[in-house]
Amino acid sequence: MKFRLSDRQVGVLFMLPLIIAVAVFLVWPIAEAVRMSFVRYNPLRPDDQPFVGLDNYLFVLEDPLFWESFWQAIVWTGWSTVMQALIGVGLAMLLHQPLKGMNAFRGLLLFPYIVPTVVIALNWRWLFNSEIGIVNHLLMSVGVIDERIAWLSTPTMAMTSAILLNVWKYTPFVVIVVLARLQTIPTELYDAAKVDGAGAFRRFRDITLPQLAEVLAVVIVFRTIWTFNKFEEIYLLTRGGPGTSTYNLALYAFDQSIANLRMGVGAAAGVIMLLLLLVGSMVYIRVSGFGREDKAV
Amino acid sequence: MKPWVAAILYAVLSAITFVVCFPLLWAISTSLKPKDEIFRWPPTLWPENITFEAYHELLFGSSVASAPGAGVAPSAYFLTWFGNSIIVSVGSTIISITVATLAAYSLTRFRFWGQRAVPYIAILGYMVPSVIFVFPMFLTMVSLDLTDTLFSLILGYVCITLPFCLWLMWAFFRGVPIEIEEAALVDGASRLQVFRQIVLPVALPGIIAASIFSLIVSWNDYLFGRVFMNTMENLPLTVGVMHFFDGTHVDWALMMASSVLMTLPMAILFGFMQRHLVAGFGAGAVKG
Repeated sequence: MKFRLSDRQVGVLFMLPLIIAVAVFLVWPIAEAVRMSFVRYNPLRPDDQPFVGLDNYLFVLEDPLFWESFWQAIVWTGWSTVMQALIGVGLAMLLHQPLKGMNAFRGLLLFPYIVPTVVIALNWRWLFNSEIGIVNHLLMSVGVIDERIAWLSTPTMAMTSAILLNVWKYTPFVVIVVLARLQTIPTELYDAAKVDGAGAFRRFRDITLPQLAEVLAVVIVFRTIWTFNKFEEIYLLTRGGPGTSTYNLALYAFDQSIANLRMGVGAAAGVIMLLLLLVGSMVYIRVSGFGREDKAV
Repeated sequence: MKPWVAAILYAVLSAITFVVCFPLLWAISTSLKPKDEIFRWPPTLWPENITFEAYHELLFGSSVASAPGAGVAPSAYFLTWFGNSIIVSVGSTIISITVATLAAYSLTRFRFWGQRAVPYIAILGYMVPSVIFVFPMFLTMVSLDLTDTLFSLILGYVCITLPFCLWLMWAFFRGVPIEIEEAALVDGASRLQVFRQIVLPVALPGIIAASIFSLIVSWNDYLFGRVFMNTMENLPLTVGVMHFFDGTHVDWALMMASSVLMTLPMAILFGFMQRHLVAGFGAGAVKG
């Protein structure tokens, strides 16, 4: 190459694709969604988009299905995140033990994370099939239940199955992050505690937990946000059913946009989700004091 | 560690691993059962008569003539869908990785006004629900007359793969020492030569790790494919296999065989990336 670019030019040139991509693929769709939330938008009549002010938002807030979806989204997110965090930390502790062949266990236990959601949903429908599903068979042969459970056609059980699916798929994420952090805790801390006569439980409480606190805070925020936003896991397993008993806000927004052809209402529901996440994160940051060290630096 | 502690740990880990892997083992077992054995109660844990019928139907179904008037069975499209999924995953990964790698280099080697704002905006994309992205993108594709094309899906997947590709590559480049580059620059090499001949080879492990993540995410997506695509020939695998539920009765062997085939490429990639997975998450998704 004959001509020479100055360092500054190279720097800007290399950033340029990202600037364009972020503008086109991230900023613009969000801005457009916000605009759509203020118009009546039927995708079959794209040229007719009258401005309706806050009508879409009022429609959403007065819709009982929105509130049902909202509370179900909280149940779905709360249970999923708590179980993922508890099981995730436990598994990470187990996988951190210095044992031969641990890599094989790590690989197998992290595997669910990369399995396509469609595959898991198909498998779940088959495992939890009320007539000939293996889960009912196993529970009955062990004697936990006497009759077959209609897993996917009773509201509570459908939500339970969906949460189990979510926990199965995403606990590995918690394991990966916590495991990476465990590996960086200096072993001297544990040696010193042993010398002082601290037992395994005290070492966990006084050394491991405080060391994990920061990373756990981050993981829980991420998992909460992502679980709250999840669409495919529920849609593919139950379609929000039976009835509307497993709808969350993502399904609500999807349904308004696609099934009811109310793109504006769907967009408004999406924007409300975003605002909820924003407010939630801010409250969390306030309460937990997370990120304070960053400011001090 | 005392031997009996190790023994207990092995037992606990094996039990957990078995429970975690059970859904997939059960899928494999079911996919190999003949139709009458699937509906047997109590179910057989492992097929008494192994058959590859379901796999045969998926992989060679298009060559089997369907009954006249019955239309084409969804399973006949399986290989087409498989190909579509490969094209869109690879396509969006190439775009995201290229953009992310160039930007990550710029971010770690140069400074200019407003530069830092861009990646942070991109990372906010992490937080935004996909249902917000998908409809504006879809309506734009409609106005550009691109709906139902694999190209539209490639562009759609950039939305979901770009933020973490950038995050990972940025973290990776922060760890690449700058001294060799400086030496080469002093020796009279141009910036672009340095980038091509020194930086890219060093960054290769990071590029591979981020690519695998990106491939997995786009391979697994359902929402964008569901909204963007209509014609049976153009569907990605995830959207396509859901059509197996369309008929009056569900063929579970077929369903589980497609589950297995669909997971296989990801399992192979996962085998390659296991090492990177922990490292990548440690450095990328969560700092420190």
